[in-house]
Amino acid sequence: MNKILIVEDDMTLCEELSILLKNAGYEVLSIKVFKDLLSQMKEADADLILLDISLPEENGEVLLQKYRKEKDTPVIMLTSRTGDVDEVLSMSYGADDYITKPYNPTVLLLRISAVLKRGVKSSQTQSYGDITVNTLKASLVKDNKEQVLTKNEMIIFQLLLDRRGEIVSRDELMTVLWDNNEFLNDNALSVNISRLRNKLSELGKADAIETRKKQGYLLK
Amino acid sequence: MRLADYIKDHIAAYIIKAVALAICIIFMSAFKANIQAIILVAFVFAMAAFLLDLWEYLRKKAFYSGLKYSLNELDKKYLLPELLEEPGFCEGKILLETLRDCDKSMTENVAYYRRQSKAFREYIEMWVHEVKIPVSSLRIMCHNNPETNKKMIGEIKRIDDYIENVLYYARSENAEKDYLISEVSLQKIFGSVAVKNREALQIMDATIEAKDLNVPVLTDGKWLEYMIGQLMANSIKYSSTERNLIISAYAKETNEAVTFYFKDNGIGIPKEDMAYVFEKSFTGHNGREDRKSTGMGLYIVKNLCERLGHRIEISSEVGEYTEVRIVFSKNDFYKMK
Repeated sequence: MNKILIVEDDMTLCEELSILLKNAGYEVLSIKVFKDLLSQMKEADADLILLDISLPEENGEVLLQKYRKEKDTPVIMLTSRTGDVDEVLSMSYGADDYITKPYNPTVLLLRISAVLKRGVKSSQTQSYGDITVNTLKASLVKDNKEQVLTKNEMIIFQLLLDRRGEIVSRDELMTVLWDNNEFLNDNALSVNISRLRNKLSELGKADAIETRKKQGYLLK
Repeated sequence: MRLADYIKDHIAAYIIKAVALAICIIFMSAFKANIQAIILVAFVFAMAAFLLDLWEYLRKKAFYSGLKYSLNELDKKYLLPELLEEPGFCEGKILLETLRDCDKSMTENVAYYRRQSKAFREYIEMWVHEVKIPVSSLRIMCHNNPETNKKMIGEIKRIDDYIENVLYYARSENAEKDYLISEVSLQKIFGSVAVKNREALQIMDATIEAKDLNVPVLTDGKWLEYMIGQLMANSIKYSSTERNLIISAYAKETNEAVTFYFKDNGIGIPKEDMAYVFEKSFTGHNGREDRKSTGMGLYIVKNLCERLGHRIEISSEVGEYTEVRIVFSKNDFYKMK
């Protein structure tokens, strides 16, 4: 389980963020006392830090700059400022991503998981049961039988696989697809899901994707 | 200063001088002075008076003509006192001093309002920054609570849109350079606008056709995102009830420029309104037809475009489509830094 440290001085927002991240399966730490932030950040030993830019004691950008000199834990900057200058500055100080408030929670979670994945040397192959999932080639292989997935199908399958055993809502699927510049509408999503089902059943996994009415889909 | 005017202005002096000369002549003849002496005195007196006046006229004419000329040529007329040379005569000095004082007082007055508007803008920026925090909290609360009504998310989005409008209005009206030109991917910006509007677009079952957007343009990313957001909001607001909304976005590149096309199949804009769509507070036919329109959206977009040095064009046909084009020039000057 990945540990995320939240550095945000608005307590309501901090609390809601914690709930959001806990629900998504992360271990969450947050800073309560805004003194000596740098050493608190170092001690937390988190896998990822969400850092607000405007903090009571010190500017988040300055803090990031100091922190980067000692540690290279991924940092995502959160800000309500809406200037390109802040973004460029943050990125040049070594931020891994930069998200402006108010963020779409699904997008925020996506960005977090993307940044965390970047850190881990991802193996290009995953497996689902006896099927080998080749992410780079976007194909599913079982006993020399290969099914090539389209970009959309791959994105959908990847998300379901990452969250195997959990319900993934259509809304989340849509957000992820749109975030990848695939602007599908409702119908197109259903078409893609049924195509993906067909391809899975070709490999002997006919009922792999379960539909939960009004909730979403679940990969068994 | 015309000679006739000058003479008219000094007519009293001439009369007095003439009367004085006449009295002198009468007295001298009464004392039986030599006629030649009288003529000599009269001639010297008249010459002196004439030369003196000519000199006076010429130096005044030089000063006032210079003043008139400078005033006509200046496009910022308040700079006039800076241009005038110190005049050699008393009235001119008084005038120049007065002008300088007026100028100083006006500069102070302008500076006062400039400071005030800057402070107000800074306050708006800070306020926007602050108000976004509770909006973020609300947004996440909605997500954390699965029973949330979908409509609430829509309303939060509306609040956020209105907040952005205030921010960019303040920015577009301000003369300070607070943007940052860099290479930005149209694809990325368009993508994030689309994601932000996904819920609304999906409810309408809209189709988004985005192609050939993988082109870098020189602009301020945040400003462009706001501008495309405004275009998207308009397309959503003015969509046709007869068909599903289709938005197509693409870019074309030439040697000098990249043109971003944003086209919808909405209700279009009447011909008579076309000339005014970028004007402040113009709502037009479409705005009056029961849709909430402030007439600010395209005005702000145009303003931001001008400040960033982009060109914006619009074409439309009622009941068919509206197309907005933003032209980004490939300025080498930008690239050098």
